[in-house]
Amino acid sequence: MTMILLRTISKLFFAALILTATLTSCKEEEIGEVDDISGLGGDTWVPGPIDKWIMDSLTIPYNISAKYKWDQFEFGNITKTLVPPDEAQVVPLLSTIKKAWTLPYVQEAGEVFYNKYSPKFFVLSGSNEYNAEGSVTLGTAEGGRKVILYGTNLFKIKGMAGYNPAEDSSFVKDWFLHTIHHEFGHILHQTVLYPVEYKNITKSLYQGGNWINWSDEDARRDGFVTAYSSLNFDEDFVEMIAMMLTEGKAGFDKIVNSIPEGTSPRGVTKAQAQASLRQKEAIVVAYYKNTWKIDFYSLQKRVRGSMNKLF
Amino acid sequence: MKNSILYVLFLTAAFFSCENSDDTVFEETADVRLNAALASYEKQLVEAPSGWNAVIYPAGGGSYGFHFKFNNQNRVVMYSDFADASAATAKESSYRLKALQTPSLIFDTYSYLHVLSDPESDVNGGDLGEGLKSDFEFSIFPDSVKTDVITLVGRKNKSRLVLTRANEAQATAYTNGSVAKSLLFNNIAKYQTYFKRITLGGVTYEITVNQQDRVIKLTWLSGTTGNTFTTEYYFGPAGLTFVKPLVNGSQTITGFTNFTWNANTVQLGFSGAGANTVVTTAIKPLAVDLAASRRWWQKPVDSGGEWRSEFGFHVNGVDDAFKVKDLVSGKDEFAFYIYQPAVDPDYDVFAPVFYIEEEEKLDLVYGHAPGRPTFVADGRVIFPEWGSLGTVPKPGPAASSAALLFDPSGFYLIQTSEDTYDMVSAKDAKAWITWE
Repeated sequence: MTMILLRTISKLFFAALILTATLTSCKEEEIGEVDDISGLGGDTWVPGPIDKWIMDSLTIPYNISAKYKWDQFEFGNITKTLVPPDEAQVVPLLSTIKKAWTLPYVQEAGEVFYNKYSPKFFVLSGSNEYNAEGSVTLGTAEGGRKVILYGTNLFKIKGMAGYNPAEDSSFVKDWFLHTIHHEFGHILHQTVLYPVEYKNITKSLYQGGNWINWSDEDARRDGFVTAYSSLNFDEDFVEMIAMMLTEGKAGFDKIVNSIPEGTSPRGVTKAQAQASLRQKEAIVVAYYKNTWKIDFYSLQKRVRGSMNKLF
Repeated sequence: MKNSILYVLFLTAAFFSCENSDDTVFEETADVRLNAALASYEKQLVEAPSGWNAVIYPAGGGSYGFHFKFNNQNRVVMYSDFADASAATAKESSYRLKALQTPSLIFDTYSYLHVLSDPESDVNGGDLGEGLKSDFEFSIFPDSVKTDVITLVGRKNKSRLVLTRANEAQATAYTNGSVAKSLLFNNIAKYQTYFKRITLGGVTYEITVNQQDRVIKLTWLSGTTGNTFTTEYYFGPAGLTFVKPLVNGSQTITGFTNFTWNANTVQLGFSGAGANTVVTTAIKPLAVDLAASRRWWQKPVDSGGEWRSEFGFHVNGVDDAFKVKDLVSGKDEFAFYIYQPAVDPDYDVFAPVFYIEEEEKLDLVYGHAPGRPTFVADGRVIFPEWGSLGTVPKPGPAASSAALLFDPSGFYLIQTSEDTYDMVSAKDAKAWITWE
């Protein structure tokens, strides 16, 4: 039985060999005019001042590119209605990100660190992305490489027409800068994981998908810096990074101190919630120091300092 | 069995031959032809010295006029009739031609064209997340590219964009502000009277304008019979342009031009079909739909339910003049006003409805009870006061609304669509309420 099977296989194998030989003997002379394939190598257009700014300010020093011209296929959900950015918005937005994210990290940790870990590709949408249940997508990140920022046309900083400090400063802080610091936090912990003790601080209180039904104020009473923090360990960790950097030390202290008296519905006292946030803060600071040789409080000062100049 | 597998294998091998000729029906490869097509489309767009007049018909409805001037540096300068500012001031942005599933024209940074697509509802009055369902990426089909007219189809929503080669005078009409001046027509909304009339070449027309949907309705009489004509419109070098012209006997109206506007006297003037006219007001319809009021009253009786109004009465140019939207009952907020006919053999109900948030239900707290309305032979409906329900706060929005409803002059009912009516005061036509 075994013998027969072997023989069959060997004959088949032999036949297959001949077949392969026959096929490979047909040599293709050339593969055609490949250099004429339309769009091969990416879209091209006559470069303008914005393209030059991106090249000089982001691509040459940091190997980062930014796509502001419309390309539907960069956006995950092609059924959504979006519009491209207004050209007048592109440099103000990108330079804000550069000032409040790139430069603080470069100054604190050096170009080698920054160029090694920063996402390399920004895609801009002019409008927000509206979701069926009423929420709005602020930004998305893919694989530590590509970051999509929405709402470019709504972005306003000091010096731009119609700037309203009361609304616009928190919009820029909570949307664009929070998003980029949040996503960069993910890249860092996916490269070197934070100490496991972090997960024990508020272990029993994570909400999972139910976070959406919580306000930031509710979440803080349980020791989470934002409602989104309570989704899982990783989001908690990067929300801490994003909030501490964009709020500054004073802003973060204010958040901790504003937790009201009493016990939360889940049985956490004010003192416990504050202690949890302080422990998380300490682990973030230690993680930056031990893993990346970055003085977190100095980085925080630089980020917040640059933001104060923008608003 | 074993052998047959072998034979099949050899047979397969035998089918292969070493001949590799790539004869195709075309002389050039698909890529070469695609690149040539993209280049020729771009050349055609760029080599129009006065640019292109354009009209876009968004999938969401309406029609909007544009002017594009393309250059060979991927730049386009445009005007749009969407608003006064965009009709008066050019904006530069970028475009490119790209091979997608078809050769495509993409307006790839924000321009006046994107205003229609913008998902932010306060930009264009469309739905949040959708805008006016317009487009800014267009497929180019070779058979719809003519020397002077290019018809494109939006890739996302299938909006139609028609480009027509502009002449020098048409381009000048944009740069010298005469297209912008045509937008004076939009002041027609400042007339306080519901019914507006124009007279062109001896024919009197009632003109009804829906600026959000860009629709004009003209009504005229032949003898005692009313005729209506409805068209979409846009603004361009020829002024306000009808998407389809009105042919009325020997008279053909393609649009309106030569606009004048006097804000002090609230008087709009323009020309159409070679004649000048000013917009005048009337307190009753030109052709009264005699059965409309009874039809309006009967509809909820037959189908159940009631008529609802989100904003209450519009009076003397003020939307929600009595501020019914500010009404509250305890902590329950105003939802809408209702008119429910034949609640009782003796009376109907005209009342504000409140929304109880915790219980997610609607609540009727107080209101007015008109008696059975009188349907007058001239088409009006008159609401007699029969009584009230609950305790109506006086004075207040509900009391003011009822006082207007019980006006002895009554109302005309104007059917504006299958399921919507405007109820217009017969006293002066300066007050009305929209039922839906």
